[in-house]
Amino acid sequence: MKLSYLLILFLAIGSCQKTEKHLSKITAKNIAIDRTIASSEKIDRVINPYKEKLTVEMEQVLCFSPTEIVKSDGNLQSSLGNLMADMCYEMGNSIYKEKTNEAIDFVMFNHGGIRANMPAGAITTEHAFELMPFENELVVTSLSGTKILELVDYFVQNKKAHPLSKNIELTLKENGYALKINGKAFDKNKTYAVLTSDYLQGGGDSMNFFKNPKKLTKLDYKLRDAIIDYFKKTDTLKAHIDNRIIIK
Amino acid sequence: MKRRNFIKQLGTASTLTVVGGLTLPSFIGKQQRHITILHTNDTHSHIESFDPNHYKYANKGGVAKRATLIEQIRKENENTLLLDAGDIFQGTPYFNYFGGELEFKLMSMLKYDVATIGNHDFDNSIEGLYKQLPNANFDFVSANYDFKNTVLDTHVKPYRIIFKDGIKIGVFGLGIELEGLVNKKMYKETGYLDPVEITQDITTKLKEEEQCDLIICLSHLGYYYKNNPDKISDLNLAKITKNIDLIIGGHTHTFLPKPTIVKNIVGKNTLVNQVGAYGINLGRVDFYFDEHNHKTSTGTTILV
Repeated sequence: MKLSYLLILFLAIGSCQKTEKHLSKITAKNIAIDRTIASSEKIDRVINPYKEKLTVEMEQVLCFSPTEIVKSDGNLQSSLGNLMADMCYEMGNSIYKEKTNEAIDFVMFNHGGIRANMPAGAITTEHAFELMPFENELVVTSLSGTKILELVDYFVQNKKAHPLSKNIELTLKENGYALKINGKAFDKNKTYAVLTSDYLQGGGDSMNFFKNPKKLTKLDYKLRDAIIDYFKKTDTLKAHIDNRIIIK
Repeated sequence: MKRRNFIKQLGTASTLTVVGGLTLPSFIGKQQRHITILHTNDTHSHIESFDPNHYKYANKGGVAKRATLIEQIRKENENTLLLDAGDIFQGTPYFNYFGGELEFKLMSMLKYDVATIGNHDFDNSIEGLYKQLPNANFDFVSANYDFKNTVLDTHVKPYRIIFKDGIKIGVFGLGIELEGLVNKKMYKETGYLDPVEITQDITTKLKEEEQCDLIICLSHLGYYYKNNPDKISDLNLAKITKNIDLIIGGHTHTFLPKPTIVKNIVGKNTLVNQVGAYGINLGRVDFYFDEHNHKTSTGTTILV
């Protein structure tokens, strides 16, 4: 009985479609979700236990910063960019050495990848997440001298404070530049091991010189984990503008 | 069954449907049906509202507030679909610590119907996404990701058909090319098929074979790329295809104040909408259908 009813209903709907269903009107609006809308208690009850667990994790103090560390306090460098590059150099270099018996020559990231400033005072896990919310991993690219020249050209022409580690000393003059890497003059015939993120290595921010390196070593280590591990082993953060970029 | 008897029974059936609570005043003559489409994109694990001190989005967003708003709209019109255009994962520690479990649980509570897959939904690898599927009481659609050689095989369909108020709605999904955007070790053997060709095939199928009254594309291709205008995007897709009524987009975090109306390849209107990111906005598109026994279709009024 029920089946035959369903069958008839099905036929009825089928025959309905023979009449014209005409789309006569469309209205649309995008609605802001803001403080004028009350929170659903039912949803909040589900969120709360997760939120409590997370709060404990996020509020964990990792280290201390005597001053605010920002990404916009220098000319083609910043105290936060310098810190980020130097932290990852230190944390990444030991892993790279274990894997390859070689050392990283320097680190380069992009300025846009610094996602938040670090406040003065206690630095927590949450700050590390704000600084690096993405899941990018550290990779080491072995770059030819020609690629290093492309890298410097990009840096000079892009005019942004892309983070470079303390291994670099780049002097920009009115016409041209001088480059030292780990205290030695840049050698066009040498291959350099440059640490960056998998995002930039893949051509992110048009850093195309990272593409197709001579050798690519994945460290299987997230940039954020490098930051958190560094914060954990450090008591007081030190970050400064220094002589890695000299503008004459 | 003789034809006369059949018609008689048909009349009975339609009376029953009216009693059954469908909002059809009569089966004969003009009727109006009303479908509401609600949508989000790139919610990026934003479970809570933004902090009151946030420089840009203070107090905005939040799943609990979204729930209230959606409930209100469902009370207005029970024939509501709730859709998402991908990048549900990644962006707050909720994802890093719980792997997307809470995101899917809450979307299930909000009664999402269908979602597509964004590039960040692979951030815990394809296995990480697969692992969370039991928490999702809604379907994933993707027509141009080929999951045949992955754990997601058979778990993601190219499209889904939903009946609401007698209206047949086809919803299909499109994803962005993963190579160069996502680490291969994350998406593994996921194949990428040309979104334009797939759209041509699927829309023909949905329109002609399935006879859908409404065709919606959930796209994570991105709204438009100013610096790369030939790259496939929602605006380009709308222009060079037909039969799509609405493209719900994502990926580019484009905050549209209202949907863009695009003339498709046969000169008909396609709506392209996207509501930025982080659950700050909810998109709403209402479709009204008139029913005629005779073919006197006038145009469609679009009020946006």
